[in-house]
Order: sequence, then C-alpha cells, then structure tokens
Amino acid sequence: MDSAIAQKTWELENNILTVETPDPSSDSIFYYDETAQAKFQQEKPWANDPHYFKRVKISALALLKMVVHARSGGTIEVMGLMQGKTDGDAIIVMDAFALPVEGTETRVNAQADAYEYMVDYSQTNKQAGRLENVVGWYHSHPGYGCWLSGIDVSTQMLNQQFQEPFLAVVIDPTRTVSAGKVEIGAFRTYPEGHKPVDDPISEYQTIPLNKIEDFGVHCKQYYALDITYFKSSLDCHLLDLLWNKYWVNTLSSSPLLGNGDYVAGQISDLAEKLEQAENQLAHSRISPLGPSRKKEESQLAKITRDSAKITVEQVHGLMSQVIKDILFNSVRQSNRSPNEQSGPEPMVEA
Amino acid sequence: MASSSSSGLTFKLHPLVIVNISDHYTRVKSQMNPPPLTSTSTTVNGVEPLQQAPRVYGCVIGVQRGRTVEIFNSFELLYDPSTHSLDRPFLEKKQELYKKVFPHFYILGWYSTGSDAQESDMHIHKALMDINESPLYVLLNPTINPAQKDLPVTIYESELHVIDGIPQLIFVRSSYTIETVEAERISVDHVAHLKPSDGGSAATQLAAHLTGIHSAIKMLNSRIRVLHHYLVGMQKGDVPCENSLLRQVSSLLRRLPAIESEKFQDDFLMEYNDTLLITYLAMFTNCSSTMNELVDKFNTAYDRHSRRGGRTAFI
Repeated sequence: MDSAIAQKTWELENNILTVETPDPSSDSIFYYDETAQAKFQQEKPWANDPHYFKRVKISALALLKMVVHARSGGTIEVMGLMQGKTDGDAIIVMDAFALPVEGTETRVNAQADAYEYMVDYSQTNKQAGRLENVVGWYHSHPGYGCWLSGIDVSTQMLNQQFQEPFLAVVIDPTRTVSAGKVEIGAFRTYPEGHKPVDDPISEYQTIPLNKIEDFGVHCKQYYALDITYFKSSLDCHLLDLLWNKYWVNTLSSSPLLGNGDYVAGQISDLAEKLEQAENQLAHSRISPLGPSRKKEESQLAKITRDSAKITVEQVHGLMSQVIKDILFNSVRQSNRSPNEQSGPEPMVEA
Repeated sequence: MASSSSSGLTFKLHPLVIVNISDHYTRVKSQMNPPPLTSTSTTVNGVEPLQQAPRVYGCVIGVQRGRTVEIFNSFELLYDPSTHSLDRPFLEKKQELYKKVFPHFYILGWYSTGSDAQESDMHIHKALMDINESPLYVLLNPTINPAQKDLPVTIYESELHVIDGIPQLIFVRSSYTIETVEAERISVDHVAHLKPSDGGSAATQLAAHLTGIHSAIKMLNSRIRVLHHYLVGMQKGDVPCENSLLRQVSSLLRRLPAIESEKFQDDFLMEYNDTLLITYLAMFTNCSSTMNELVDKFNTAYDRHSRRGGRTAFI
C-alpha cells in the first residue's frame, strides 16, 4: 500500500496528467478536415496577437522521426519540415520529414535549396494519403541546447511573415542521449519591435561559452510553447507490446561509454566559465555593492547548477553500470571465500 | 504457407518502422471514417458506424550487411486495386527522394497490414523482385487484442519450394529482433510512458531513471522464472525432456559471470573513481558558491564602511 501512496505523491508533485488510454473513437485527432483548416487559414486569428499560439502537440511518429534524424547527423546540424494542422491555439504536428541540406554557419535560407524537394515530397505524400500541410520546421543543435540562434530567429521571422502558421522546433540529440530524456523546444518569434508584456521564465539550460553571446542577444525575440505528445490507440498497444522485446536494450544501454566526449566537453566549458567568473569577482572586490555584484553571483550559481546536472547524469550512468555488474558478475563471489568484500560499496545519494 | 525460414538471414527491426506503419494505418482509417460531428450521434441509433479496416501498403528501407538485414525506415506506397500491384512510378519517385536524405538505405521489401499473408500478396512480392532479389514482407496486424502478449508484426521471406511437382514461391516466416539506437530508445520510452519532460528535482530524475531499470530487471526476472518453472516441471517429469532446450539453458548459464578479467576490474574501478571525482568537484563548486554568498551576505549585513568598528542595524 505504501508504494501506491508514494506513487500518488510523486505524481501530484510533478503534475503528472494521467493520459487516458486512447480508445479507437478518440483517434479523431488523426482526421484532417480540409474545410475547417481552410477556414482557419482565412480568418488568421494570429495576425492580431503575436502570442496567439500557446501549445504544441507532437505525434509519437513525428517525435521519433525528428530525434532519429537529428541523431543521425552526429555533430552536424540537420533540418527538416513538419506537417500538421492547427486547432485553436494549438499547433498539431502529425509528421516530419528530413531535408537534404547540411547545416552551416552561414545558412540563412535553407528552404531555398530544398524547395524542389519539399514540393515533390508534399505531392507524393498527398497522393499517399497524407493530407496535411507544412506547418513548421525543425533543426538540431547537437550539444548546445534548445534555443534559436540569430540566424534561426531571422529565418523564423521570415517564415512567420509569409508562411503562417509556422513553428520552429529545435532538438538536441546529444543532450537527449546524455540526460536520458528528450531535449526539445518549440518556439515562435515576435514580430519586429514587439516587446513581450511579461517575461515568462523558461526552463534553465546551460549554454556553452562560445554560443552564449548569440543566445543572449536574441533570447527576448521569441517565446517557447508548451509541448505535449499524443499517440493513437494502435500506437499505444504496439508500444506496450514493444516493451516485451525492448527491456533488453534498456538494461544493456551504457550511457557512461556513449557520452564520454560530451561530458568532457561540458566540464572543460564549465572550467572556462569558472575562470571568467573568477576574473569578474577579482575586479569587483573593490567596487561598492551594487547590481554588478548580484550579476556575478548568479553566474556562480549557474555554474553550480550546471556542475550538479553533469554530476547527476554521471552518477545515473554509474548506477546502471554497478547494477549490471551486480546482476551479471557477482556469480564469482560465491566461489571465493566469504570474507572478501562483495563488490563496490553502495553509493551514498548526493 | 508459414513454416520457418531457412535462409539464415538475421533480421533487425527498428521501432520507427512499426510506429510508421501504425500511423499510416490510423491515418487512412480515420480519413475513411470521419469522426461524428456531435458526440451523441454514435449512440442515437444504438448502432456503431461501420468501421472499415483498410489495407495499407508501403515500402521498407534499410541496410543489408552480410547476413544481417537491418530495417530502419519505411514510406507509404499506392496500391492499384485494378492491377493488384503497387504503383511503380510512385515508388521510384519516393525512392529518389529518400535516397537524397538517407543515401545509405536501400529498398529491402514492402509492408502491409492485415491478419495473415494472402495469395494476392505474392503477386506484389514478385513485382518487387527486380529491385531486390529477395524482398521482405512485413505484416502488421492492426486489430487490438488485449490478450495478445506478442508484437503482431511478422516478417516473411519468399522461398522456392516444390509443391506437387511444381516449383512455387511461398511465404515463410522469419524471426527478427528489435534493434535500436540510444536516441530512438529514449524517445520511444518518452512517448510510451509519457515521463515528465521537464527537469524536476534531482530526486524525480533519479526515480525516473531507476524506475526504468527496475522495470527492465522485473522483465528479466519474470523470464527467468518461466524458464525455472519449465525446468522444474521437466525434472519432475510433467514435461517431456527436451535436450536441445536443456543445452540452450546450460549455455546461457555458463555465460555468467559476464566478464571476469583483471583488466575489466581495473577499468571499472577507474570509471567508478572518475565519477566520484566529478561528484567531489561538484561538491567543491557548490561549497565555494555557498561560501561566496555567505561572505557577501555578511558584508551586506555588517557594513564596515559606514561606521567605524561598529555594527549597523541593517534593515
């Protein structure tokens, strides 16, 4: 009984919404109503309110495709388009497809290269029964977080002028693998010169030093939307059954091995930030207490938070390794004398 | 029609393909059966609206390395009911498009939905043989059966068998494993269990991570129990003795312990120490940050510059 109470408490603390298992009648989200969409397109309710769209619903298929594509690019940024529809103040992403463009620093308008591909693909898709229109674009930021760079912001502003409704999604496949949860963000830009009324506190994420300027300059020009996911009843059923074959992969995954490079990079980046913070501290010792002191302090606090995050991920990885060692290797202990130590000591929770 | 395959190829299926096929089917089905405009219309007559179960067709692509065939992705195809074949120019167009984005993938076969392989499918299968000499046929059964424990996906290969003196191609079932990359696994996990996506406290992250491992170990435990139960039955004599199974179980057990070398122990401890070192560093950073804050707060509270040697009542 205790475990049930513990679970309920945990769910309450984390605002877990129990998603009802979708039954076949609720697969209506998959139905594409051409006339309703055309009508919505005519009305353009977003033209008056830059903050009109607040939520994004991504289908299981779209998420899977985007993450796999982003990961397959390795350290190169990749991009693609998303297809879907709108529903009140939510944008629904049903599917995604990759574009054959390589990300470079100076790419401003990648869609120009890929227009032919996009037109071809959309046509063939419509024939095959995928009726939705392109409703956004996604790209990856391997290793440096989910935010819009200066180039991304200008691209998105252009899109929002001519191709409304349009959404920008950023995925970080490296952090996804390292943290064990999907790193994804959905954004819309404000039109030129618009000042947001209130500044919503977005979730903190660490940005590497070489990108932090780009982030800071533009971070006020766009806002993030809430992301939820949905899947069909058949998807639900299949995913449940998939677990029967899948648990092997969960047990055999070794995050410590896979993420070694990334973690090393993060730590060296953190070291640089620490040096910067130290220099600032040395300079401001003589100056009177003022806002500058506060700013430097919060930098140190940020560094602390980042280091805690890296450590937690490492500890998780190590825990998996220790558990696997105990499970599969401790057989040899029975052969040795019982006076010997039985493997590494249990870790104290940080 | 479905005996076990003897071609010796091992098949690996990625979950993306399964979700792709399922989505294709759901999409087509829901376009054919538009949802009722009002919520009461389904119950008014007391009769369920006719749910047609369409068959969808598509192509699977992936890589073949030696004897291993790995199916990575799939896309939809058009079926021409008049000629009972797939639309060829459409297939070629799509193949071109996909080649641009995934240059390493080749067409490995085709897929369809349904409960069992049918005679007419052989027609389509033969048509694909000029692209790939031995194409695969992936069949997904879309009927949701809650009692089912196994994934309703079967992979068929075609083999030339001599039946009644005539060499014929028939479908034979092949076994497959589910293969995945780390990123795919995480996103499937995410969607399947809808775990909390935001940071949460360290405790919830830890709980989520350990829950995942716990479920996997529970599965392992239940599978071992099944084996154990079976072996006990064999020992008692309830179940006839099967030597091949006994050999398999024995070889499985002999694989434990998994690794036992000195070098492994060294590397393991080194990794362990590295993680402890990182924890130590993080603790240091945390401590120095807290100290810094303390010093600042102290300086703010007991401001020495304003009065000599005294304390101010700081408000």
